[in-house]
Amino acid sequence: MNAKLDGEFREFMHARWPVMVRLAYGLTGDQGHAEDVAQAAFARAYASWPRVSRAGDPDAYVRQIVVNENRNRFRRRRVTERLTDSPPESGHADVAWTDTTRHYDDHSVLIAALQRLGPRQRAVIVLRYWMDLTEYETAAALNCSVGTVKSQTSRALATLRQDTELVDEGFQ
Amino acid sequence: MRIDDERDLHGQLEAAFEAITPRPAPIEAAARRGRAIKVGRRVAVAAGAAAVVAIGVLAVPTLLHHSAAPAPVAPVGHYTVTVQAPGPHSAPGLIASGTIDGKRWQLTEAKPVSGGPSGSVPSVTTSGPAFGGNAASGPAVAVDSGAPVFFYGLTAGNVQVQFGGVQADVTYVAVRLDNGIVLMLRPVTVYGVRAVAFAVPVGAEVLDATAYSRHGEIAAAIPFNAPGGVAAFGVWLNPGQRGLARASGRIGSGTANGIAWSVTAFLGPWGICIQAPATGITSAYCVPSLSYLDVNSGDLSMSGVSLSVAAGHAPASTAWVIVNQPGATTTKVWPVTVAGEKLFAFRLLAGPQGVSWTAYDNSGHVVAWPAG
Repeated sequence: MNAKLDGEFREFMHARWPVMVRLAYGLTGDQGHAEDVAQAAFARAYASWPRVSRAGDPDAYVRQIVVNENRNRFRRRRVTERLTDSPPESGHADVAWTDTTRHYDDHSVLIAALQRLGPRQRAVIVLRYWMDLTEYETAAALNCSVGTVKSQTSRALATLRQDTELVDEGFQ
Repeated sequence: MRIDDERDLHGQLEAAFEAITPRPAPIEAAARRGRAIKVGRRVAVAAGAAAVVAIGVLAVPTLLHHSAAPAPVAPVGHYTVTVQAPGPHSAPGLIASGTIDGKRWQLTEAKPVSGGPSGSVPSVTTSGPAFGGNAASGPAVAVDSGAPVFFYGLTAGNVQVQFGGVQADVTYVAVRLDNGIVLMLRPVTVYGVRAVAFAVPVGAEVLDATAYSRHGEIAAAIPFNAPGGVAAFGVWLNPGQRGLARASGRIGSGTANGIAWSVTAFLGPWGICIQAPATGITSAYCVPSLSYLDVNSGDLSMSGVSLSVAAGHAPASTAWVIVNQPGATTTKVWPVTVAGEKLFAFRLLAGPQGVSWTAYDNSGHVVAWPAG
């Protein structure tokens, strides 16, 4: 890669690193894991930077890798949480997530509530309502249909509305 | 706030995420790792280039082969190998040394250059009589947080070398070979990175590698052994965890400039690997999971001397895929079901840049489309 492209990448990563870490954090609930995922995503972007840069939307590229990396790590580590349309009955996906979210209750009750959603619902909320992506962009990032985004959004919002800890904190 | 109020929800999420303070952007580490990915791709191409002369002869029988399981590795016959970690008086940068049938090999990492131009990648190089006068170099040893050992493979002469960065909790790595030998790899710190390496003859099959900590097994990886190529370590499995079931199938074929080509996908505990002998690349290109091949996120392309191909993964309801390539060229391809997954491959006309595809179901409805 020539010096100009290299410099361009460095500038891009410097500017977008916090956003991608926060996106990964929203998906994982674990800051260490989030930074690993974001770094892996930027490394892949670097490896293909001439193409990524020419395509004109490096943000979308890295964002999608963050989503994919997170999903892959889920599969690799055999976390027992599964993609589901319904919230888990207990309100907690599994023991691991309970432990993780406990650490972050201090940060935000909303973040903790997000972690109690299924992974796809969580991703939809983060992408739609934090990153302000359109339904189309969210569907593309998650490799699903717009209809799925709509239904997952609706279910995720319904779950959040019923989350007792959110209600206790004044969310309605 | 009200959950139904989008602006309110956005504001709450914004505030919650703002509370997260990431460490400074690890730009150098990402660039180093990115360069390693790039060099890794080039290494695979370079390893395949040596075989390009033989393609005219090998292409037809290879193309006629319908594999239902990973292609067998050509038996290499009896061989003995040893590996040894550097001692206190070893040369700087030495990662490991050993013998193959009594001939010595060693792998050394060059001292990293700080402040050099971005292209000056610190790299490892092979040396020793085991390589028969050949030499190969590869990317600097890198560590990946998702793998106990982040292996890279090289070929030099008739020897395959595997090396990788090792996580801090790994005390040793056991590598089982098809001749019954188990190599015990002890990590050494080379220029600040814990690393291991071993070498075997090309054609020898690496059955698996298991990483251990002081407390027991951490994870094991079963690599894909590309015939004539290097073992590809993609996925590390925790104890008791099972990887993808083994399956394979030809996911694309055609004729380009009078030469028949095909792409075969191999699914298994290593992840997903593709091979396309007509590209001249003997090594397999692999990704850990099918999601890497999803719309606009797949990087699984192979660029050979006269032919480049790419693979994709489409939703289950896909009936056909329209591939758009620069120059307004569109191609219709039909995915093949392998182990219940819809996979397809197509010929790249001018490299992977600017290529996108859209998947349609039987009714002509779009079921997956390019992102961005």
